[in-house]
Amino acid sequence: MLRRTAQALVFLSILPIARAQEAGAPDVPLRKLPTDVILVKGAVPSASDTSTPIPEGGVVRKDVYSNDYFGLSYALPAGWFEKYKGPPPSDSGAYVLTMLRPGPTYKGASRGTLLITAQDMFFTPLPGQTAKESIEFTKKTLQADYKVEHAPSEVTVANRSFTRFDYNSPVAGLHWYVLATEVRCHTIRFVFTSPDPALLDTLIRDLDAMKLAEADAPLCMAGYAEKANITYKVDPILTEQKFNAIPVRIIIDKSGKVRHVHVISAFPAQAKAITDAVMTWRFKPYLRDGHAVEVETGILFGAQRAKPVMTAATDNAKRSGD
Amino acid sequence: MTRRVVPLALFLSLLFVLQAFAQVDPGVRGGGAAAGGPLSSVAANNPVTILNFFNDAKDRFQEIDSVSGTVAGEGGFGLGPRYNSRSCVACHAQPATGGSAPAVNPQVGDATADGATNPVPSFITSSGPVREARFPFFFTNNQPDPNRPNGGVEDLYTITGRVDAPTACNSTVLPRPSFTLAVNTGNIIFRIPTPTFGSGLMENIDDATLLTNFNNQQNNNVGVTGTFNHNGNDGTISRFGWKAQNKSLEIFAGEAYNVEMGVSNELFTQERPLPGEDTTTGLASVCRVNPTPEDHTNFNTTSIATLSDTVQFAMFMRFLAPPTPSTTVPGGATSINNGRNLFTSIGCAVCHTASLTTSPSRFTPSLGNATANLFSDLEIHHMGTGLNDNVSQGGAGGDQFRTAPLWGLGQRIFFLHDGRTKDLLVAIEAHDASGSEANSVEFNFDLLSASQQQDVLNFLRSL
Repeated sequence: MLRRTAQALVFLSILPIARAQEAGAPDVPLRKLPTDVILVKGAVPSASDTSTPIPEGGVVRKDVYSNDYFGLSYALPAGWFEKYKGPPPSDSGAYVLTMLRPGPTYKGASRGTLLITAQDMFFTPLPGQTAKESIEFTKKTLQADYKVEHAPSEVTVANRSFTRFDYNSPVAGLHWYVLATEVRCHTIRFVFTSPDPALLDTLIRDLDAMKLAEADAPLCMAGYAEKANITYKVDPILTEQKFNAIPVRIIIDKSGKVRHVHVISAFPAQAKAITDAVMTWRFKPYLRDGHAVEVETGILFGAQRAKPVMTAATDNAKRSGD
Repeated sequence: MTRRVVPLALFLSLLFVLQAFAQVDPGVRGGGAAAGGPLSSVAANNPVTILNFFNDAKDRFQEIDSVSGTVAGEGGFGLGPRYNSRSCVACHAQPATGGSAPAVNPQVGDATADGATNPVPSFITSSGPVREARFPFFFTNNQPDPNRPNGGVEDLYTITGRVDAPTACNSTVLPRPSFTLAVNTGNIIFRIPTPTFGSGLMENIDDATLLTNFNNQQNNNVGVTGTFNHNGNDGTISRFGWKAQNKSLEIFAGEAYNVEMGVSNELFTQERPLPGEDTTTGLASVCRVNPTPEDHTNFNTTSIATLSDTVQFAMFMRFLAPPTPSTTVPGGATSINNGRNLFTSIGCAVCHTASLTTSPSRFTPSLGNATANLFSDLEIHHMGTGLNDNVSQGGAGGDQFRTAPLWGLGQRIFFLHDGRTKDLLVAIEAHDASGSEANSVEFNFDLLSASQQQDVLNFLRSL
């Protein structure tokens, strides 16, 4: 992302290709717009600081996918790579964290993919508050084109509880093995796809070596930004109606100050107004076992069409066994 | 010598075998046009007189405009002062009136029609797609300036030199955009005409239906998200145009009449300057030839002629039946059915939703409570760097595009928003790019065998 931004910023200073051709134009080299950079963006994510990890901040480096926000570290299968980055997070809090596939050096006989996604459960438009419920809903709504291989069941991967669900498409000859777990009030899905079940079994077995532990993460709580918990609040003024939902995550420090604002999807002016306002909010410190702890919660600004399912204040970190 | 010939023969045989099994786009489906007629209830003249409206609207859709209605054989009025073509059907022609870009590009002839003196830009060719051009950014000192987003349509031609244009309206007061500079700096993108068959059904799908489909869609395992573009005035979901930027067929028609043909009308009431001119000088008065709006309600009659062209253009599109798919061509029924199932199984149908149901209609029975097999969710999706055009329209950013409805695909010639390819395989592969929501689905397509891919292609060409 940073590299692309840098490319965008400097594109006018590189790639001289021709001379100005208009009558009376100054005789200066013409610069060509880059062809692989999205300069005009719609709603995009942003954050109040660059040091706090964010869900979309994962990277593949030295054949390891790392995501500091989720405490996730996964060694890619031999010869696999991340060809492309995923899209920006959606206004319903859905992320494509990465999509991995065999690369040019892959030696295996069969091919497949691993898609890692996250759904912010504060903003999901789907029923279900847990990974298990999310997967159960997937099974319940599975179209007739697919056949269930293994019904959703609890499994342990990398010392963590997952819900696993396997299904296939008889006509396509493709298998989908899905493993889902909860991290920081997100449902993380590992979606393995291949025509070869043996490859998928191997990949899932290797997934056991993954690290997934948000040891120092704040306590995530739905609905914490409610009146009863807020001691000072200034509403952001959104000067232009864009009809978009604006999901926002905030981290409140032990003293009740807002330490971090992550605007998941917004137009730049919206993001600035929200970030500037929310950073001034003050909360009652949240006590857990008598000690103040950091809290992470979600707020939905803008259009309310993506109704959060988790409206009550719940301690999801406890429920997911952290 | 013999030892060399044998391997060569083997190699050529193998090549032939591989080619025989390689998947290929079957190309434009032959036979008669499977689109272009009215909806069945319109054809049945229900309600009474509606068929007359449709036929009159079709005539107007096919009418060629001149500047002041004084050129023989050109019944329309109000062309220019800038334009991309001279009639609706010039661009919306394949495989029948109302469709998309035809095999022979009329814009080559439009450049010099009736004495006009326009050079043909390099990106307009006889065998290429009909195109409108946009500059993503304004120029500052001949350089594209990322601090000055543009994105408006830069009309290809002016009326200068035409037999019906005022001589004072010359190239000095009516300059053409510098397409050469834009091409040389990469500051230009293209759009091709969207087909309009079945668009009355698309217009009559309620927002609630689209939102329900959106919510159902979120349960996918292929990384698709999506959102909607909205009409800025009332906040409802907009749905026409490459970025779903237009709310209704009437707005779509009014804007196109103004932007593509230069005809002011009751929705877009002034003659249109170029982007940039609109904030500085406006159009020179000598080039504003006719009283405005040039297209308007006609009060001197009680017949169908009362309606403006814009209203009738919208009526024509609204009453066009959706394309009729083939059940057997290309590849046979088995292959097509298999392709349809594969299309759904690998995830294409997450965005290319096979069908949506319309609301009750007060126009005509065929539009109400009907199944629209449009193969689109009418959402906008991130398509990544490969298709990004750096043009923002409404809530859509540079790489966000409406899921293109696929009905009628079998008889379309050019694909993707800019018409960059005639090959369906290339169009499918273009879904795979950095930042695209479709990467996983496109790779699922890659995981299919060659014969399965061929089934998908046959299915798409059957639509």
